[in-house]
Amino acid sequence: MPSRLRILVLDDEPIVCKRLKPAFQKAGYEVETYTDSAAALRRIEETAFDVVVTDLKMEGADGLQVVERTHQILPQARIVVITGFATLDTAKESFRKGAFDFVAKPFKLGDILDCVRRIEAELRGGGSTGNGM
Amino acid sequence: MGILSHMADLLARWRGSRGLPFALLFKKFKGILERNNRILELMADMGDKLGGEYVFDRQYIVDACEQLDDHVFKLISDMSVLGQRKNVELFLAFERIQHQLQEEIAGRHHFEGGRLVLPFRDIGPDAEDEVGGKLAQLGDLSNRLHLRTPDGFAITTAAFFAFMTRNGLLAQAQRGMQDWDGTDGGLRELSDRMQRGIHDAPLPWGLVAQINAMVDVLGMRRKQPLRLALRSSAWGEDGDASFAGQYATELNVPPDRVVEAYKNVIASVYSVEAWRYRLDRGFRETEVAMAVGCQLMAHSRASGVLYTCALHAGDNCEAMVISAAWGGGAAVVSGETATDTFLLERTPPYRITTREIARKTRRMVPAPKGGMTREDVPADQRDAPSLTDAQLEQLARAGMSLERYHKRPQDVEWTFDADGDLHVLQSRPLCSTGDAGLCVPVQDATSRAEVILSGRGMVAQRGVAVGRVVLVDHATDLDTFPDGGILVSKYTSPRYARVMRRAQGIITDVGSPTGHMATIAREQRVPAVVNTEVATELLRDGEEITLDATQNVIYRGRIAELDRFERTETDVFEESYEYRLLRRLLKRISPLNLVDPHSDDFKPRACRTYHDITRYIHEKAVETLVDLSQRHEALHHAPARRLLDGPPLGLTVIDAGGGTECLPEEAGLVTGQVCSVPLRAFLDGLTESGMWDTAPVPVDLGSFMSSFTRTFSASQAGPREVGRNLAVVLREYMNVNMRLGYHFNIIDAYIGSTINDNYIYFRFLGGVTELVRRSRRARFVAEVLERFDFRVEVHGDLVVGRIKKLSEPRMLLRMRMLGGLVGYARQLDARMHSDAQVADHVRTFMEAISTVVATHHDDRIERKGGGHAVTTAHPGA
Repeated sequence: MPSRLRILVLDDEPIVCKRLKPAFQKAGYEVETYTDSAAALRRIEETAFDVVVTDLKMEGADGLQVVERTHQILPQARIVVITGFATLDTAKESFRKGAFDFVAKPFKLGDILDCVRRIEAELRGGGSTGNGM
Repeated sequence: MGILSHMADLLARWRGSRGLPFALLFKKFKGILERNNRILELMADMGDKLGGEYVFDRQYIVDACEQLDDHVFKLISDMSVLGQRKNVELFLAFERIQHQLQEEIAGRHHFEGGRLVLPFRDIGPDAEDEVGGKLAQLGDLSNRLHLRTPDGFAITTAAFFAFMTRNGLLAQAQRGMQDWDGTDGGLRELSDRMQRGIHDAPLPWGLVAQINAMVDVLGMRRKQPLRLALRSSAWGEDGDASFAGQYATELNVPPDRVVEAYKNVIASVYSVEAWRYRLDRGFRETEVAMAVGCQLMAHSRASGVLYTCALHAGDNCEAMVISAAWGGGAAVVSGETATDTFLLERTPPYRITTREIARKTRRMVPAPKGGMTREDVPADQRDAPSLTDAQLEQLARAGMSLERYHKRPQDVEWTFDADGDLHVLQSRPLCSTGDAGLCVPVQDATSRAEVILSGRGMVAQRGVAVGRVVLVDHATDLDTFPDGGILVSKYTSPRYARVMRRAQGIITDVGSPTGHMATIAREQRVPAVVNTEVATELLRDGEEITLDATQNVIYRGRIAELDRFERTETDVFEESYEYRLLRRLLKRISPLNLVDPHSDDFKPRACRTYHDITRYIHEKAVETLVDLSQRHEALHHAPARRLLDGPPLGLTVIDAGGGTECLPEEAGLVTGQVCSVPLRAFLDGLTESGMWDTAPVPVDLGSFMSSFTRTFSASQAGPREVGRNLAVVLREYMNVNMRLGYHFNIIDAYIGSTINDNYIYFRFLGGVTELVRRSRRARFVAEVLERFDFRVEVHGDLVVGRIKKLSEPRMLLRMRMLGGLVGYARQLDARMHSDAQVADHVRTFMEAISTVVATHHDDRIERKGGGHAVTTAHPGA
């Protein structure tokens, strides 16, 4: 694992990417954002991201397929699903396909940052949780 | 389902509906109340999203609006059944509002009123559709940031559409674009044809008359001959696309040439260059709309440009730069003249670090017959600085206020007039900061910093503030608030609007992100976190802190990297399409226009927002149920009876089964005949606490009388009007709806031996006084409820408290407390003169109520022993 966590964000609504990118950068992570699932999957095949944050309902590829493919390509990556259509069934299905956590939209920036910090702490074996928050 | 088919369906169901069973009517009534609450909560949730703490997308907006549509439609339908009448007017109001919302979501801006001209001072927030990007921004500068901008008026985009449509010119442009062969020659031909068409076409006479009237008004306020500057302000201009230099500006225009100059600016929309610029950026022909600003020409003594971030000083952006010259500013902007250059620090007191005074031999001045000309600068001024130190400081302060507002370094055009007054002519983002901020090692800095507070409270406005803590309370003289301080206070207060221009940020112990102060902070984009509970204890007056109101953390000391990171963010949340869309939608959802049920305007036709419809139906539902119950044929099993003893609540009780014990022929009942467990406890609490009759603190007679007279005017003072309060009861259930003066109170409760079924829902809204006093009372109510373990939400003056699944004795204790609270809170807003009184009243109330609740059950001791559950869901939802 590199010194800075590498995060890929995929959401077909640009505003989500626009808001998550600086928030993650500010917290010290390396971030790439995609609004197109095919492009995101191509990138996931090239680079070992530590965390993949993906929407569930998108134009083009279904988010569940992205979860499944990501889990196959990068089994060590933690996948966080963000969705505005949170139901018990979609949550269960996401976890079954390899999701690590599930955040319902709309969410607070702090919530998703906490989620990533938890992942970071776990990956670093229970070490520091980032910037001390 | 269309309105007509829906009405037919309802009518069919009503046929022969005389004597609908009470069970059905009551179910509808209860449904209306639950839906009413759900709608208010949805609206409050949507308002919270504007603070910037949440990440939401377009889908959220669409979903939230759909949910609202659905609830409001069903609310009207339920009301139709309950009242057994056609609510065509309500359905029409609903359809009107829903249509406007759908148009907004689809990206088709809805124009209200379609004003052709608009004085600058009337340009409100969200005016971009009406007056274009540049003028909306100037309106912001003047109306929100209180910076001086040239006086004048806008010829709106509605005027543009009126002119262009009447002459078939819009259709001509759209057709031309469809048929365009893609060549430069073709575009030039099209451009010539359009520009000729615009110059040859007459302006609608009504528009000409309104322009002339506005020009006359401006002329009357002026001693010198009137000269105007006409500037373009198109949709999208100065937003993501700057259109810099694409559209025409006409300077020093005499009154008789305004119409001609207007056409010149309009025609510039269709210049080859502007058209090409739009095509390159993917603008569609339907997105073209041009407003034109007609500004008084300032008699410029010195003018120039301010960059709030001097990029050539290095990436650190620790300085701002001012270029200035004598006379008008056009020469400075175009770089045609020698200018003085000043570098200043970016923090108060904005020390001047470098000054380079140039030899300035020529200056721009208005020509006698219109337009601008050049002349020699008098010999004694050529080598003199064009700005004084005081003027430089004034400019710096204005620049930083603009930068903070826009969250980006700004490129500001300004002028000082002959009287030495500063006028801001334009402010736009300083381009090409690029990704500079992202290279800032911000995480290194924050990880080293000491965190004072993290994740407490709610973000009312996101952003970063660096400055010294200024502790403020109700006794603080706000005039002494220092420039650049961070305001820290126990409570939110609209009073702080006065210092927002000077404050870097705001932190409070209590308050709501949808309250009045939060709204003002959002308007002026002052980073604000409310409801931290402990900020005033942890922060010391005068200490330097960094407030990150995006991630909701307060650090000790100055973290310049964080500040810089924020200012170089490429996407500003408040300028995102989704934010603007949500704000526009909420304007058609949240404002409450139908306040007074006794006013002539309290009718369906006057409903302009969903809140209006909801409020109207709530009032009518209570009224209808009382009326129905008084007509025995409609409610065979549920005669309505007035409560004859106890405090004068004016309560009418409808017993839906086992709630009272009185003989059928009795017209009224007394407390002793109430068997409903929750209602009995509520009434006992009200009576035993004695809080209805005895004022707990000395009353300021003036405000009390003013609220009293407003509440019950002579014509409304009859017992019948006061007596519209309604309780529907079963043995273990009560639903009480009260209008006490100007506030509304609902208590819905089930209390029985099955712990899991028990709940109390308490809702409190409104008041007679201004928002600040009502909000204080709301805080008082909220704090009391919290002391009794209610889960409480406060949105402005709306308080919702919920508690669930406690044992019967604990529930009854709380019902008795609510009886006391309802008595105590009545008219309390009129007595809430200062924020400090909130805590005083909580103390007084807790002491007074302790005897009432203690005699029945030592709840505090029991709670220590046994776990209790306070759950989150609405009892009926």
